[in-house]
Amino acid sequence: MMLRLLASGGIAVLLAVPRGNLAAQDRFWGRLMGQAILDGTHVDPVPGGGSLTEVRVTQPVLIAEAGALNDHLAFAGTLDLEGLTIPNGELLPGGWGEGYTDRRHPHTYAHELMLSGKDLLGPLGVPLRLSISAGKGFVPFGSDDPMSRPVYRYPVNHHLAQILERAVAMAGVRSGPVLVEGAIFNGDEPERPGEWPPLRRFGDSWSTRLTLLPIAGLELSVSRAKVHSPEHRPGAGTDAWKWHTAARLDRAVAGGRLYALAEWARTSEAEGFFVFHSLLGETSFEKGRHQPYYRFERSDRPEDIRTTDPFRSLRPHLENSIIGITRFTLHTFGYSYALQAASGRLAVRPYAEGTLGRMESVGGGIFSPANFYGKETVAAVSIGIRVEWRMAGHRMGRYGGLLEPPGDSMHDHMM
Amino acid sequence: MSLLNLPMHRVILGAAAVLAIPVLGCGGDGSPPSGPGNQVQIVKQSGDAQTGPLGGTAQPYRVKVTDENGFGKPGVAVSWTIVCGAGAISADTSVTDASGVASITATLPAAAGAQSVTASVAGASGSPVLFTSRASAPGAFAVSGGGNNVPERYSSDLWVAGGYAYTGTWNWYQRTSGVLGQVKIFQLGTGGAPTLIDSVSLANVVTVSDLQVSPDGQWLVVTAEGGSAEGLYVYSLADPAHPAQQAFYGVGTGLHTGSLSVIGGKLYAFTAKNPGSPALMIFDLSDLANGNITLASSTPIPPNYGIHDTFIRDGICFAFVWNEGVYIYDVGKGVAGGSPQAPVQLGSVKTSGGEAHNGWWFWNPVTGEKRYLFVGQEGPGAVGSSSSGDIHVVDVSDLTAPKEVGTYHMQGAGTHNFWMDEARQRLYAAYYNGGVVALDVSCDLAGDLGFREIARIQPGGSGQTYTWGVMLSGSSLYAIDMLSGLWQLAVP
Repeated sequence: MMLRLLASGGIAVLLAVPRGNLAAQDRFWGRLMGQAILDGTHVDPVPGGGSLTEVRVTQPVLIAEAGALNDHLAFAGTLDLEGLTIPNGELLPGGWGEGYTDRRHPHTYAHELMLSGKDLLGPLGVPLRLSISAGKGFVPFGSDDPMSRPVYRYPVNHHLAQILERAVAMAGVRSGPVLVEGAIFNGDEPERPGEWPPLRRFGDSWSTRLTLLPIAGLELSVSRAKVHSPEHRPGAGTDAWKWHTAARLDRAVAGGRLYALAEWARTSEAEGFFVFHSLLGETSFEKGRHQPYYRFERSDRPEDIRTTDPFRSLRPHLENSIIGITRFTLHTFGYSYALQAASGRLAVRPYAEGTLGRMESVGGGIFSPANFYGKETVAAVSIGIRVEWRMAGHRMGRYGGLLEPPGDSMHDHMM
Repeated sequence: MSLLNLPMHRVILGAAAVLAIPVLGCGGDGSPPSGPGNQVQIVKQSGDAQTGPLGGTAQPYRVKVTDENGFGKPGVAVSWTIVCGAGAISADTSVTDASGVASITATLPAAAGAQSVTASVAGASGSPVLFTSRASAPGAFAVSGGGNNVPERYSSDLWVAGGYAYTGTWNWYQRTSGVLGQVKIFQLGTGGAPTLIDSVSLANVVTVSDLQVSPDGQWLVVTAEGGSAEGLYVYSLADPAHPAQQAFYGVGTGLHTGSLSVIGGKLYAFTAKNPGSPALMIFDLSDLANGNITLASSTPIPPNYGIHDTFIRDGICFAFVWNEGVYIYDVGKGVAGGSPQAPVQLGSVKTSGGEAHNGWWFWNPVTGEKRYLFVGQEGPGAVGSSSSGDIHVVDVSDLTAPKEVGTYHMQGAGTHNFWMDEARQRLYAAYYNGGVVALDVSCDLAGDLGFREIARIQPGGSGQTYTWGVMLSGSSLYAIDMLSGLWQLAVP
């Protein structure tokens, strides 16, 4: 493999370039993908009442994938530059986590940095596919990162249905249609884009996920996790016990591509003192250049005390109390249109998206949406352009190649 | 708790224990399990922790004496002694029956209070066995005045001195108006009823987290957190109805609480610096007349949520440091050379459940003991409606080796700040949505203190009570409630 350092537009990227003949390609492969979204979002209401419109560049990511040793060794890395483009977060009704509220937090620069040993038993002829992975990334729990799903707007349940940006060591085994993964990781969520997981907390949390693949394109999964002190980096916070189950469909239908996800998540904190639920269903149908989509979500959000910036919650926490729980019931409709160039490697997708819903207090506490926002209904409209370069097939949170059909080779990765 | 909630090592140990039962149990020959150390043992059978009427007869106190093989040992003389409190017992000695059980009956004190009785067998393991019961007089809290007097903000702490009550406001979530922290000044009427007469706003401060009047009544010391002007504020009480700012010391990340103490003739404020870089910060307030606050020392606290409160008495500082438990410092008592400028840690204890938040070192004027430290645990809650956390009793007879000996649990609520009527051996505890509770803490404290509850009240009523703190002044107990303001209560 030959490595070249390319400089373009002030951003340096490390690119793995296949070299030599096909035999050499059998040993090494690599590809680079990327995307960015220019988005304008209007939300009504925002904290304090009234509405707010913002235009930002979101989800600017560069993704590198590589394989070696006849694809037994794989690398997945995602550089996320949201720390530069949305340092104060992105307007998002119901958004929360990592010290942000009513905004989605910027992801850490090193969003994924995972090294996997794939099909480790293959050379032994054992009829099981075993993989091990380690690095920084998603733990085997829940569904794919919303970034790799059709709906532009992140769901409220991001921190109920995914566990991301952790130092993780995981193993997975697949036998036929049954896939089991388990992992240990650090429980704390990052608090700043440039922050790395604290190694002293590595291994204080665990997760496991069972996935069934009964027919092509259909995945049924159940996940369980214990996350120690996710909201308090030094480790004094309460534990979160998490359940997640999902059905995901992604297959060709009627000349197009049908995608659907139905998921339920439950997080219990402080030995059951707080329980947060989420129910989400989303679907899209992509045919030709057209892709309409829809999401329904009903998710609970903890209400932490906020700083003098009403979009930020106090970090680190002073204690384990909250001021309430808000349930968001949201309908999101959208449509995107694909324009392609460079032989399909470049895609430009203008989109329009709207969200309507309501907020209500559940479970007590002093927080009142009517008091805080001035009303209990919520609306958001987004218009933007998603620019993708070779973005295909990268499902954040799935490592080790266990979803690939048996016999899939590194040639499938070549573009 | 489901099996899935159990740590794996506990599952493994549990399975091993189950498998080991047939091996380690009766051995299949019917022999009894051996007692600890293969010696005569005395254990409590029944009768402990009773509450009865004044001068009433308690259910019998029973102990069982077993021999070195674990069988009941008949014919053993058990000595019974009232070690604390009044009342009487039916016999000083009783003899175990054929099953090894000995008992007496006790007459409870004629006045409200506890009675502790020991059962002893010389040389027996577990001796002496302690029984404590309580004689209870009818009584209840009653609202005497106040209430629903801070409608625009949530209230925080209180202090009562010189015919005035000073309360803080908690503005981490805006109620109806006002985003600045305030000190509310209440004038107490001839009967003690509070009337709001003034408010002092702290510019660029979110929450007045704690306040206290100096022992000489000259200064009102306030801690502040949130906003751009967090830190320590001191107000002159030359006009106690209208405090005037005298000094300020800024502390980034804010101060959660503060406690005043005079050590070596100087006034000091012991404060809890918030997470980020939590510390026990001690300020020298001896030059307030010139507007000066001087940092005497800053002792780092592990960032395990850090430090929440302090209690200082006789040169000893108890720091309540969340999951680290309680740290005990010599800050001028002289037992280890500590001072406010250089605290020396004497000991520490991790109370069960962690979340150590506040406390009170009980000097019992009746027994002369300085044995117990009450520790408040602040568990999770939804502010305004739910809370959790118990009162833990720590034996600090040896300040270098404190140990937890008892707890009080209120179902459905958690404790916050305390006050004591030491002369009457009573602990008053704010209990958030549980309101206020009074506990009889006379005599020996051990185990579950539930039977010691005298009375409780939700001053604002159900759904409108979330009591932050209490303070006794004269014959009234003042309670500050986050939702319903300042109340004057008549105690049972």
